[in-house]
Amino acid sequence: MYPIISLSVTGLLTLFLGFSENKKIVFPASIAFLLIALATAFIDWNAPGFYFNDMLQVNNTSIVFWAILIISAILIMGFSEGFERFEFAQPAEYFAIVQFSLVGAIMMVSFKNLIMLFLGIEILSVAMYVLTGADKRNIRGNEAALKYFLMGAFATGILLFGMAMFYGATGTFNIGSGVFIGGDNSFFLWIGCTFMLIGMLFKVAAAPFHLWTPDVYEGAPTIFTAYMSTIVKTAGFVALFKVLSTTFSGLQDFWWIMIAVLVTLSLMIGNIGAVSQNSFKRLMAYSSISHAGFMLLALLGDHENALGSIMFYSVVYTLATISAFGVLMVVSKERIEKGRVYEQNDLFKGLAQNNGFLATVLIIAMLSLAGIPLTGGFWGKFFVFRDAASSGLFWVIIMAVLMSAIAIYYYFKPVLLSMSKKTSLESITINPLAKFIFAITTFGTIVLGIFPWILRSLF
Amino acid sequence: MENQLPAMPDVIAQVPLNNYVLLASILFIIGIAGVLIRRNAIIMLMSIELMLNAVNLLLVAFSSYRSDPNGQIFVFFIMAVAAAEVAVGLAIIVMIYRNIRSIDISLLDKLRG
Amino acid sequence: METLETIKNLTMTQWSFYAVSVLTLFGALGTILSKNPIHSVIYLIMTFFSLSAHYVLLNAQFLAAVNIVVYAGAIMVLFLFVVMFLNIKDEAPELDNNKIVIGASIVGGTIGVILVAAIRLTESQKIDPSTYQIKTGFIETLGQLLYSKYLLPFELVSVLFLIAMSGAVMLGRKEKGERNF
Repeated sequence: MYPIISLSVTGLLTLFLGFSENKKIVFPASIAFLLIALATAFIDWNAPGFYFNDMLQVNNTSIVFWAILIISAILIMGFSEGFERFEFAQPAEYFAIVQFSLVGAIMMVSFKNLIMLFLGIEILSVAMYVLTGADKRNIRGNEAALKYFLMGAFATGILLFGMAMFYGATGTFNIGSGVFIGGDNSFFLWIGCTFMLIGMLFKVAAAPFHLWTPDVYEGAPTIFTAYMSTIVKTAGFVALFKVLSTTFSGLQDFWWIMIAVLVTLSLMIGNIGAVSQNSFKRLMAYSSISHAGFMLLALLGDHENALGSIMFYSVVYTLATISAFGVLMVVSKERIEKGRVYEQNDLFKGLAQNNGFLATVLIIAMLSLAGIPLTGGFWGKFFVFRDAASSGLFWVIIMAVLMSAIAIYYYFKPVLLSMSKKTSLESITINPLAKFIFAITTFGTIVLGIFPWILRSLF
Repeated sequence: MENQLPAMPDVIAQVPLNNYVLLASILFIIGIAGVLIRRNAIIMLMSIELMLNAVNLLLVAFSSYRSDPNGQIFVFFIMAVAAAEVAVGLAIIVMIYRNIRSIDISLLDKLRG
Repeated sequence: METLETIKNLTMTQWSFYAVSVLTLFGALGTILSKNPIHSVIYLIMTFFSLSAHYVLLNAQFLAAVNIVVYAGAIMVLFLFVVMFLNIKDEAPELDNNKIVIGASIVGGTIGVILVAAIRLTESQKIDPSTYQIKTGFIETLGQLLYSKYLLPFELVSVLFLIAMSGAVMLGRKEKGERNF
């Protein structure tokens, strides 16, 4: 509960900092504000409860997710130093919007009432529409913002229709008690469940609701692509899990087969689509669709384990994604073509020779995303497979394993390019903060690859 | 003053709830169709407004028929969110119009695989 | 003959329900089918007014007023302002793109048929007048609920408005420098 208050207030303070003469103060101040929010998150540790007339549910699980979201935001925002050229013409507004958007993400992981879920999704989405279009003079960024906005608003409409039908069937917006098919209202419940799921799957970019993903990921400024593929996804999956495991747990027979089909579709479209991509950001977009498929796989299993698996998966995915996009940001700013940064795969050609540190970071991130043992990604996949196996869905698991094999091919493309002899780059400068972040994410990926239980045994 | 209030509105006694659900669903589908067939960003945005209004009508109908005010509170929030969304959406459209002098989304094709 | 009998027996309230519904759907269809965006805006305003009439029928007077103030008054003025400001002429013949229209009609039609067919099947239960709360949509009830139970979401909407405000200002402001294609 406290981080919501803290982030709302500090966001406002950040807006006021924009009036000051010295714009340089905004960046360290925002990081400090985020750290304060992180500290306040733990005030409620071991003090579970419901706040504000059953609007918020706070327990240790939700506090862990708050911490994950805020730490991801700090890691991503760390890359924004020195990026004045594109995104940071008005730094105060950007950092304020980032802090406000975290309020939405926190609402999404600890809501108890559908109004809070709806508002959380909207706060996060509206912030993301603005941030996607942040690079105003870039026509690709504009296009991405418009596409994201139209698709997102459309998805909101569908989600709301589902919520209205749910209200019609149950007469409440509270998600506390489970609902069951039967009686006069079962039809409203079906429609409500289906439409709410569609609306939320749009937001987490699961196929076949993924059509916006590649374009938006490519067009958005890289730092916000990283933001959208980590924070929006984590918050979205927790919200999806909460809705499915509490309210709709009685309808499991109904949504279960739907999710199983969506897992198959997401894995196929994500992995096969990624093979032919030349742009690194599009590759990561398709990869994010396939990871959405893997995370949905956890929902098919036993609810006891699912949240832990989703938590572990989102942490390793977040670490690897931040590394990958961070390397892209650092390297691509060295090569400007036609007034914008160059973001194709062959940007990484000869990176190992040029800068061994960045190449190591990139390679470990790619190995983790591909799910190679001794990286966190392996255990992430292992846990969701184990969950799904407990439900006896072997055809989906066989499919998922096959698709992971395809994934190795396209994740190795940038890796092999970075090992090649010829280099097209001058020497690359990394500022110390970025170096520090790379160290954290890479170290985290390897530690979780060797000792997964330190995180998995949390709950 | 108090005793002049009727027991319940006429429409609830005389029109079944299903008619309202049907009307709202048709309105919602018209909104979806508008988003799908139009390529003009402003009209797509208006179609999304239609979808949200269909939801509002549905919520008010459910809320009135059950005499439960929670649904009408939700409508307030939808209206607030719609206003915020429209402000941001129109800002994005203005920004794009500055760059390409059109808001036909099929002209926006720079992002390709 | 039967339908004619039904029509004859309609009460005043039912008449108004059907008349307003027809108006609503007419406005909605006009919105999505007009070639000229300004006509679309006017049709949409018509839809909003007829929805307000529905709210009055449903005894939600306060929402009816808010609907007109917020939607017809604020949002549609914003739309009209942008349409006029950008001076958008009748766009290229977008509706002639047959593939999209056919695809969209199939999608819309399927959802529509499923919804309509299923809603026909559900029985709506009778409402008991003795337990009915006539004051549901009154401003006292809504205000009490909004400022007690829904206090937290109410406060957090302000965060959304702050994002929308600073975001719209940021995106709408004119920027120096050249464009990058």
